[in-house]
Amino acid sequence: MVLVIGGKANGKLDFVRQHLGYNNADIANATLDDRPVLNNLQDLMLADPSSAESIFPTLLTKSVIICDEVGSGIVPIDRAARHWREAVGRLCCRLAEQATAVIRLQCGIAILIKGDLTWK
Amino acid sequence: MRTLVIGGSGSGKSEFAEREITKLHPAAASDKYYIATLMPFGREDEARIARHREQRATRGFTTVEQYTALAELQLPTRGGALLECLGNLAANELFAPEGAGTEHAEAAMLRGVIALESQCDDLIVVTNDVFADGETYEPETENYIAVLAAVNRKLAQRFDRVVEVVCGIPIALKGEIA
Repeated sequence: MVLVIGGKANGKLDFVRQHLGYNNADIANATLDDRPVLNNLQDLMLADPSSAESIFPTLLTKSVIICDEVGSGIVPIDRAARHWREAVGRLCCRLAEQATAVIRLQCGIAILIKGDLTWK
Repeated sequence: MRTLVIGGSGSGKSEFAEREITKLHPAAASDKYYIATLMPFGREDEARIARHREQRATRGFTTVEQYTALAELQLPTRGGALLECLGNLAANELFAPEGAGTEHAEAAMLRGVIALESQCDDLIVVTNDVFADGETYEPETENYIAVLAAVNRKLAQRFDRVVEVVCGIPIALKGEIA
């Protein structure tokens, strides 16, 4: 599994389509099904931040997981918002541990931060 | 060696910082200090503190609580120290009754870190990336952001290493990770 992270609208989805060889039919949006790519993991977690444990094994079967980085702001006063950010961060740490490669997108530039992966 | 570690919420920065100081100071508890700045307010903080304490338990830290006035802290022996974290220290200095207040918070924090680095061989300071949510807050929160950012910049310039942690993965922004 390859984990692709970065701030909102930093080019993660484009990178996966253009450089990792997936098309729209391969990409599920914030839902778990048979498609090999999961986009917007952070939105999937919005529904139930405590679901990380139960969905973790399924996440490991994906080829690519795309997730927004959501932890780089003022800690929200709202409890649910706070827990969601924390849960998304922790889940990404666990996924990164298991991932063969982790790629971070910044301004559309892909930076390999873990593993050994080349792309076209 | 002085290292600044930065990351967002749930980025794994604490775990990295603790592993790193333990690498430098694997020996007994007597020469490794954990300086905790989180003033507990309620059950969520208590749970967080318990989780961090559990992570540290096996690594032989002596925990010291210092919520404000870091410059007054005297470490009993010389060794390694981990300060966690500047985000809480800034909040305490700015908002707690015993804090340095708006005018003096930044200077008090810098003075505190400099006093601390003079007392240990290796210092790791954990700080928070709170700068990228695109929100505009009320003036006191904006000031908090400005103070924390200023301290981060000054320490990054001063320190030997700056490491950003993303999804538990350390990325060297200055210096090298062994």
